[in-house]
Amino acid sequence: MAEWICRTLRDGGLEGEHAPALLIKDTIRCPLSSFVFDHVLSQLSSFILSNKSQSKGIVLVALSRSPLYYQQFLKSKGYDVVHSPCWIQVLDCYSDPLGWKSKLVESGGILNRDPGSSVTTSLCKNVRDLDNLFSSIIEIGKELAGDGKGRFVVAIDSVSEMLRHTTVSSVAALLSNLRSHDQVSCLFWLLHSDLHETRATAALEYMSSMQASVEPMALPADGQIGNSMNLSLMEQNFRRGKFCVRVKRRNGRVKMMFEELCVEISGIRFAPVSSEDNVIAQSLVPKVQFNLQLSEKELNDRAKVVLPFEHQDNGKTTQIYDGRKSLIEGETEIHEKVNSSGKGEIIYFRDSDDEMPDSDEDPDDDLDI
Amino acid sequence: MAAIRPRSSSFSRSTSAASNSVPGLKHGPNGTIFLSSGIPDLDKILGGGFTLGSLVMVMEDPEAPHHMLLLRNFMSQGLVHHQPLIYASPAKDPRGFLGTLPSVMASKDDKSRVHESEQEKGLRIAWQYKKYFGEQNSDSQRDGKSEYCCDFDLRKPLERHFFTGKHIDCITLRYSADLSTFHDRCSSFLSQTPRTNGNIVVGRIAIQSLCSPQCEFSDNEWDMLSFVRSLKSLVRLSNSVAIITFPPSLVSPAFSKRLQHLADTLVSVKAIPDEDKELAKLLTGYQDMVGLLSIHKVARINTQVPVILEATTFSMKLHKRRSLTLECLNQAPVDGSSGTSYGTSGSCSSSSKTGALDF
Repeated sequence: MAEWICRTLRDGGLEGEHAPALLIKDTIRCPLSSFVFDHVLSQLSSFILSNKSQSKGIVLVALSRSPLYYQQFLKSKGYDVVHSPCWIQVLDCYSDPLGWKSKLVESGGILNRDPGSSVTTSLCKNVRDLDNLFSSIIEIGKELAGDGKGRFVVAIDSVSEMLRHTTVSSVAALLSNLRSHDQVSCLFWLLHSDLHETRATAALEYMSSMQASVEPMALPADGQIGNSMNLSLMEQNFRRGKFCVRVKRRNGRVKMMFEELCVEISGIRFAPVSSEDNVIAQSLVPKVQFNLQLSEKELNDRAKVVLPFEHQDNGKTTQIYDGRKSLIEGETEIHEKVNSSGKGEIIYFRDSDDEMPDSDEDPDDDLDI
Repeated sequence: MAAIRPRSSSFSRSTSAASNSVPGLKHGPNGTIFLSSGIPDLDKILGGGFTLGSLVMVMEDPEAPHHMLLLRNFMSQGLVHHQPLIYASPAKDPRGFLGTLPSVMASKDDKSRVHESEQEKGLRIAWQYKKYFGEQNSDSQRDGKSEYCCDFDLRKPLERHFFTGKHIDCITLRYSADLSTFHDRCSSFLSQTPRTNGNIVVGRIAIQSLCSPQCEFSDNEWDMLSFVRSLKSLVRLSNSVAIITFPPSLVSPAFSKRLQHLADTLVSVKAIPDEDKELAKLLTGYQDMVGLLSIHKVARINTQVPVILEATTFSMKLHKRRSLTLECLNQAPVDGSSGTSYGTSGSCSSSSKTGALDF
């Protein structure tokens, strides 16, 4: 499914429509979303370099990891950024997001040390001004894609960092502006959902068209961390996780896909999930309580019910209760009778007692046919 | 002339001839007047349409654009009947939305032909017989262009000549720091449609995604709440209907509850999962469904008697991708031991009961 997402992002948006937007989110219980982000970045890079993609370049807004990291990462994947830099540009919001360092350098407080990165970067000194950030992104993108019809991808590393400095509504406005810009082909960003209020996370999910969340495979049974079994479970969650994707389709339906992800030294690996649990359907639709099929247990119970008929059809001779105590049980009865002679008794004789059994009368003789 | 619907009570009020001749309006019980929502099935479910002077709220699902379908039909119906309209949305260019409004379904022959061919097939066991009731009724009500509720073809855009005239106002809420200017626009609009006994002038207000996060005022929940409350009181004093859609998950729960309580008619739409085998087994007709619509509250003005609907959850289907139809859910039986039963407010014979979607 990760491949499916990358292909959707590669194909981009149609003319006049909003660009597809992917939200990658995780929590502290399974913090593997940065690996997913890197994976999507490298996949899109390969598509762009092999000219299979709608877009011509990537604008990467780096807030939580330095541009040097990305240079090294892409080099390890085989994409040389230094010598053929025409397809990716990094907007560096990591080195000096609030402009303090440059102020210190100006006032002579510290020496200006070169960060040593040769990836083409532009430095952003004020992360709080999102309008300015938007125009910088568009400017860089236009350079990459060439003016006119060329399109580019925007990747934002950690919107969580952005939310530290500005309000949710301004971040949502930035994302909305990016999505509706003609030259943006697709957009993806990273979010650590447990760092923010549910409203903020919900607002960012509202702005996206696809959500990929990384969830822990196994949750510890009780809250105790010291337990050795729980520790090993937690360790597992730092290497493996469940990858859930929700896609908003154009016809108004939501497509959900699940995969397992595993982080290894070589990178990240996705595998189809072994078991699926579809509990969603049950909660959506109101329940109806009539059932025409009987389960195993119900069949057994039904067989055990003793029906109030005289012929039980189980081989024993039928003993029709007719009010008279039979001779077989006579002895026990006599004892009981002696004991209970003092109490009141109801002596019941069935109406059929009046008739002689096996009489020659044919009751149908009364009819005049 | 407006189509005359059989009255639900034996009391018939002597109405003035003037109001009968206004197209797009019809009389309801308790001295109320209805205007159409643009969706014939929804009008039937609500007992006639939207009451003049009521506030309709639609709870959106952030994962599906179904509220846009409702808004489109509502706005198109207003434009077809030449009713003035205000449309506000958080998009930068709301005028663009007008291009997606559907036009009136052209030929009725298409429908009747389908009906005939089906009847030729021989014996048909109508076990979901309620589905076929609508076909008979709709044929009898078709009598020309000025009918109360039109059937809209979502594939064709509304003709240009409906957009001429100064009675359409499109406002963007994207750059507004607060709602005061918009509030003034609405109050001046509503003052043009006062409640008088003479000539009835009707207006429509459509506000899309009020609590959308990209607008600056979305952080001020109390401001939004007081705006809606003020709008409700203005609408109640006028001959207009206002419809507001908002995503309840984007506002805090208490605030969402307050907004829901402000509504006269409350409706929610919900997305359904795609290619879900479980749901396909549970519901018949799953392939054509695009979403679910639930009715939580129906406006009752001038009366204390509430409306108890037979069913509150309906499936939204696009018939031939053209017209929106709402159908009762037809469910396959479910193993009774696995689920809990919900309290029912309707008759037990209907197949859908109040479920998790109701509050």
